[in-house]
Amino acid sequence: MLLALLQEAETHGPNSPFEPEFGLIFWTLAVFAVLYWVLQKYAWPAIVGATEERERKIARQLEEAERMNAESQAALDEHKRLLAGAKEDARALIGEAKTVAEKEREGLLAKTRQEQEQILERAKREIEAELGKAIAELRRGAVDLSLAAASRLIDANLDDAANRKLVVEYLDSLEHSR
Amino acid sequence: MQQQVDIGEVVLHHAADAYSFGIDPYFLLEWHAWEFMQLGPFNLTPTKHVIFMVIAALLVFLTMRVAGQKLQQQRANENAPKGFANAVEAMVLFVRNDVAIANIGQDGAKFAPFIMTLFFFILYMNLMGLIPFGATATGNLGVTAGLAIMAFVVIEISGVVKLGPVGYMRTIFPSIPGLSGPGAVAMSLFMAPIELLGKMVKPFALCVRLFGNMTAGHFVILSMMGIIFLFGHLTFWNWAIGISVATLILGIMMLEIFVATLQAYVFALLTAVFIGLMQHEH
Repeated sequence: MLLALLQEAETHGPNSPFEPEFGLIFWTLAVFAVLYWVLQKYAWPAIVGATEERERKIARQLEEAERMNAESQAALDEHKRLLAGAKEDARALIGEAKTVAEKEREGLLAKTRQEQEQILERAKREIEAELGKAIAELRRGAVDLSLAAASRLIDANLDDAANRKLVVEYLDSLEHSR
Repeated sequence: MQQQVDIGEVVLHHAADAYSFGIDPYFLLEWHAWEFMQLGPFNLTPTKHVIFMVIAALLVFLTMRVAGQKLQQQRANENAPKGFANAVEAMVLFVRNDVAIANIGQDGAKFAPFIMTLFFFILYMNLMGLIPFGATATGNLGVTAGLAIMAFVVIEISGVVKLGPVGYMRTIFPSIPGLSGPGAVAMSLFMAPIELLGKMVKPFALCVRLFGNMTAGHFVILSMMGIIFLFGHLTFWNWAIGISVATLILGIMMLEIFVATLQAYVFALLTAVFIGLMQHEH
């Protein structure tokens, strides 16, 4: 049956649906080209235009959102960087202040110690001087007392100055012998 | 006794192209191949299928134009699209977004008008055959060959534009991964005929698939119709044969509506897929 059909087709010649006719190919291309052009000019923009506009808008908004996102990310990074910098600065400042205070404290301490030593030294010197003075005074008193006691004791008519010299020499000798 | 009918003859006559147009036997316009349309060995005189093709194109244009205008009116009045315009918009957008752009990729929007025109043009031509006295232009190899040649040209030119001449030549002479030197050249040359054959087979398959699907339905329906003529003379059974055959034909007609849509979709989809393959060839 199929063979018969095909034979029939052949006898039908150029009008058979089984043979690609050049005329039909030509007309197909021509009609399609015209239809494409006409639709492109008069129909598609009205139907697809709104959608395309919406797509463009969404794409724009997406781009905008991405840009803003990037911007805020950059701002955030900058902020973080600044914050870290500030923390670092504060730490450095505190450290610096600590060292300064430490140095100051040590300086003060040294100065105080020095002053204290000076005061002590002075006091020692003063005490020594006073001691010397007191000893001299004591010696003088002792000489006087001795003289008075001796003059009383011997009641002699001795030259006062000579006696004094005598006693002093004696006392000095005592001193030396000690 | 009924008149003997040559069913094969009827079927072929129905599917065949002709220099005639009309509603036989009420009104019939007949002409012959015109001399002035002779172009070398080819004659370009319009045939029945050309006329139905033009009618289909006009109907596509009319549908889209009216829908577009209605959509613009509805949008101008700040109304949501509704009714006929909304339905057309939904279909057009389906073809645009889910067939063209989904398969071609980022350049899909550029090819969308081509795919949309292809889909609706084929759909209308397919459906023209289902209305009484209509003819299916896509049931003719010449028409589907024309469509396939166009798809082929668009696919290949899109490849040349996108990949550049050198990149396009790589689709014919592929660089084989892991091979270098004379081996790669030999392999490339060896692969070239296969690649070229692959390029040809795609549109050829498009052409034959559409033609076969559109013709087969008509053949099946007409052959079933033939059952009535073959067995209609059986007394007591003729009514049963009539009813069952008519029911079957109704079912197949419905199937044909589906097939008409499906084949238009398949043609548009595969063309989009092939363009997409070409765009992403490396």
